[in-house]
Amino acid sequence: MTDIYIDAGTTWTKILEVKGDKKTYKTIKSGKLKDLYSDCKKATGHTSIKTEKYVNEAVALAMGAKKYLEKDCTVLDLGSRDIKWVKYQNGKFKDMDWNTACASATGATVEMLLKFYGLKTEDLEFTKEKYTITCGIFGLEKIMDDVSHGLKASVAVSKFVHGLAYNAYIFTKKSENICISGGFCENRCFMESLKQYANVIPLGRYVLVDGLLNENQ
Amino acid sequence: MTKDIIAFWGYPEKNITDKTKLEHPDALWIDLDINYNYPDLKLIPENYCVIIKNIVNNAFCLKDRIIKILAPIGKDKCDSAYFISEILTLEGFDIVQTVFEDKCKDYNSLKLPISTSNLPLRKKVELITGNIIDRKDYQNLEKCTPAFGFWGVPPNDLSILELFPDNTEVFGWIRAVEAGYPGDFNIETYVKKDLPTIFFTQAFCSKTALAKYLANKYEGLFIDIDAVPNNSTKAKIEAFLKLR
Repeated sequence: MTDIYIDAGTTWTKILEVKGDKKTYKTIKSGKLKDLYSDCKKATGHTSIKTEKYVNEAVALAMGAKKYLEKDCTVLDLGSRDIKWVKYQNGKFKDMDWNTACASATGATVEMLLKFYGLKTEDLEFTKEKYTITCGIFGLEKIMDDVSHGLKASVAVSKFVHGLAYNAYIFTKKSENICISGGFCENRCFMESLKQYANVIPLGRYVLVDGLLNENQ
Repeated sequence: MTKDIIAFWGYPEKNITDKTKLEHPDALWIDLDINYNYPDLKLIPENYCVIIKNIVNNAFCLKDRIIKILAPIGKDKCDSAYFISEILTLEGFDIVQTVFEDKCKDYNSLKLPISTSNLPLRKKVELITGNIIDRKDYQNLEKCTPAFGFWGVPPNDLSILELFPDNTEVFGWIRAVEAGYPGDFNIETYVKKDLPTIFFTQAFCSKTALAKYLANKYEGLFIDIDAVPNNSTKAKIEAFLKLR
């Protein structure tokens, strides 16, 4: 029998299948989830498929990254539409936050920008300059202005990503050690930008599904 | 239409409430802070405290029935309430402005049976606000050993209070109201140092600054909600309660 754990994101769904000792990780487009799976053992994120248990995303994040949290790292999950972090101190929960109102400075905006300018993630390079993107919508305006004045789109989007990394750092209350969960681990420009402010450890996309497995253990 | 309502917001000064009760013994008392789902008349800017919007919408929707409005405008309420009271006066309402800024002289003597009880949090908040006029004695309520704290004002959408366990102690303006000192800053800002506490305000309320400050100081969770909470806000509260 295979136990299925699902972290349903806005754009991508991460899946962990456990059969005996064997673990298989998969990432699929969230739009395909219902075609491929009808139910699961545990789920988190934005899903309506049948599950034996639903686990809060921040709880799944904390459970999935527990060994890093116990080393006093802040664990930050930056997704398509929201950003959340958890921090422990002396092995116990200390603080957290979760943006809840505006998704204009998260992954979906970067994906839209890449599509809009016909770019790939690999085209982005760390730039020392950054846009101040307290509001991502204002950030878009700056990109468009600069591109219309001759700046390469890849550089402008990189400056946006640097701004996004800086926002993430501020959002974590300027944590010294930040573990990153989610697809941004694979975004070199983001990771290099964040390293200007903190020690950064990439944890990959599957922290929350690992957290579902660990939860209540 | 017969005028049969004495309306109020916040915590009107007790002597004025008593005098009004004697003058209008059969009147129905209506708390204008509460969301009764009357239509939004769009008289107030979109980005404004939803409680103040409730006051204005409720007042105009009940205008034909309202005898007078007891209108706190001091530090026990807020500046927005002062301006709204003046606007409502201009619109023909009988407004009685009140200022209730008394300070407690002996904090050890405070009686807070509802805030410290083991009733569901929503029930606690409803009893405290209801008791502004009713003034019933709740001394016999069973106390809880608090596991969490809720600091703030009564939310526009009371359903968020249902996320909390019963052993949640009440702090902030709600506690100050139960104590009978709605304008006492010391009572309003008191929390228990090691008790995990959620600091709540309505968005666009000036108490947001206080909530954020206290949340940082006591390592609690700051939450501001406009009219109704979205799923992410609810999830944030649930995560805080679970992880603490």
